[in-house]
Amino acid sequence: MFEKDFLDKLRAESEKWDKSVENAKERNVKFETDSGIPIKKVYTPLDVKSNYFDKVGYPGVPPYTRGVYPTMYRGRVWTMRLFSGHGTPEETNKRWKYLYENGETGFSAAVDALTFNGIDPTNTDGDAEVGTAGVPLYCIDSMFALTEGLPIDKVSVALVVEPFSSAPVCAMYYNMAKMRGLDIKSLMGTTQNDILTMTVGYIPYRNVAPNHLLRLACDLIEWTVPMKNVPRWHPINFTGYNYREGGIDAVQELGFVFASACSHIDNLIERGWKVDDFVNRLAFHLAAHKDFFEEIAKYRAARRIWAKLMKDRYEAQDPKSMEFRFHIQTAGSSLTAQTPLVNVIRTSIQALEATLGGCQSLHTNSYDEAICLPTEEASLIALRTQQVISDESRITNTVDPLAGSYYVEWLTDEVEDRVWKYIDKIEKVGNIAKALDTGFLYKEMRDAFQKRQNRIERGEEIMLGVNKYPVPYDEITQVFRTNELAVEIEKNRIIKLKERRDNAKLETLLDKLRGVCEREENVMPVMMEVTKEGATIGEVCNIYREIWKVWEPPIAI
Amino acid sequence: MSKPGVDGHWRGGVIVSRGLRDAGMEVVFGGFQNVEQIVESAINEDVDVIGLSMHSGAHIEYTKRVIDLLDDRGVKDSFMILCGGVIPAQDFPKLEEMGVAKVFGPGTVIQDIVDFIRENVKE
Repeated sequence: MFEKDFLDKLRAESEKWDKSVENAKERNVKFETDSGIPIKKVYTPLDVKSNYFDKVGYPGVPPYTRGVYPTMYRGRVWTMRLFSGHGTPEETNKRWKYLYENGETGFSAAVDALTFNGIDPTNTDGDAEVGTAGVPLYCIDSMFALTEGLPIDKVSVALVVEPFSSAPVCAMYYNMAKMRGLDIKSLMGTTQNDILTMTVGYIPYRNVAPNHLLRLACDLIEWTVPMKNVPRWHPINFTGYNYREGGIDAVQELGFVFASACSHIDNLIERGWKVDDFVNRLAFHLAAHKDFFEEIAKYRAARRIWAKLMKDRYEAQDPKSMEFRFHIQTAGSSLTAQTPLVNVIRTSIQALEATLGGCQSLHTNSYDEAICLPTEEASLIALRTQQVISDESRITNTVDPLAGSYYVEWLTDEVEDRVWKYIDKIEKVGNIAKALDTGFLYKEMRDAFQKRQNRIERGEEIMLGVNKYPVPYDEITQVFRTNELAVEIEKNRIIKLKERRDNAKLETLLDKLRGVCEREENVMPVMMEVTKEGATIGEVCNIYREIWKVWEPPIAI
Repeated sequence: MSKPGVDGHWRGGVIVSRGLRDAGMEVVFGGFQNVEQIVESAINEDVDVIGLSMHSGAHIEYTKRVIDLLDDRGVKDSFMILCGGVIPAQDFPKLEEMGVAKVFGPGTVIQDIVDFIRENVKE
């Protein structure tokens, strides 16, 4: 990147300087990134090896290292999208309205564990969790209640459900939008639809095997985008965030998402589509964790890797196919239940990483989230954290302001190199379904969270209030409680629905779904029919279980 | 070690199980189990301790159901019950009143669980 004469002179100067500080005293800690990359005292132009034009370049131009849009936040700041849901759809709607009135610019539905796992509230294995960790969305009526009075024709909505329940939940949402008079061809939003979230991020409760989940995820992609039913939708959001939270590092996080994304692209190519038909609508969801510069390098490296993958491996022609667009969530696992107000500071720093790194959309955690779902007050502070950055800090004045930092450019290259190697390691096992089935990814996760736990217990990863300046775990002031009546409310919602619907007609349609599942055809067309007729999430997912059988994840302790 | 309910946060249960095993204890990792399965396997495996790992917010209800069923079977006093996970400190006394020996919240060091079991389980 620099002239040869200059570099020769610098090399000589650097050797001198290195010698002069050889015996300088340093603290007795490992100077390395969170993912274990060793870090030098200082970086100079000698460390910036890559060609500026090939590897860095301009925002809005491949390889997009500096950002996917030419003007980035000068054009439009990131979408402020707080992942939110609790109790009932009505209560969640109230919280969404509150955040929207306070400047939120996107909605994101955090669903409960029953919605994730496709079970109805009458199931006594899970009935105590109706609405406790997210909003229950079990039938089309829930979608009307969730979005009542909200401008979903203008504001995008993220439905955070995974392949096991994404088809019925999306179909319920699309049907609701149609019945509200909206054209779903212009509907904006995202479905998380991430195979790894409910397999290794969390363990699945009576879901089906990974090869079926992969196909279900691709059914939604195919039906919405290349088949042009909901062409502005993001039908998948590869969610490195969830497994990163489980303990893997920044390099593994990108390795997991890229290996997974390639498996989905391969599936759609097998169905006869070209990458340029759909790849621009695939989105990503990454973490903003504790290592400030490594996270920024990670976002820059991710954009470059994706552009290269699309151009070289998949021979994409459209530059838009090479754009890596991503949502960020600040790291929940960095928060402490001890002195929770410190979490506001942690989240602020992580939000700065996300925005200096060029995210398209951001969730900031509330300070009480190590203990409970957020109170209204805590969620407002989380939103204000983003607004302080967007409206007060002026970091939005220029694009990719950390480019050209010798350290950041070097670290971007270093992260990129390591990610390519890790993608190879996963792909040697096979596609993402095989990497799950063989237990490979479970072992990677387990080893990673064991390592992180050991580091925390040895004090190598500092958590203030826990392993440094510890305080007892009893200082929480206000704990948010979800509605205890939610289970009865949701059971009644389904009873009313069942009284109203044409059960004979629905049975015929559910049989049609059985046939589609047996033949392994795209489930979406019939899913639109069954959910419109009032099928519940449990009724649909039980058909998956019946035809494809329940899968036990290969977990060994 | 069991996860009652349908919430899939698995890290805590696995980490603690591994820690107890590494400390020389025999651990039966049940993963997801409903209340009947938890009680059945505790009786069949003749365990000393039932560990309930919960991150769903439904810890009071599931713990109550487990204890009620143990009570119904007349074996409530045969087991020590420990709870762990994302559980607000305010709920610790309530769980202990119900019969839980101790609750381990966020930030717990695994050695503390090992020590507690060693000190409180009769040989």
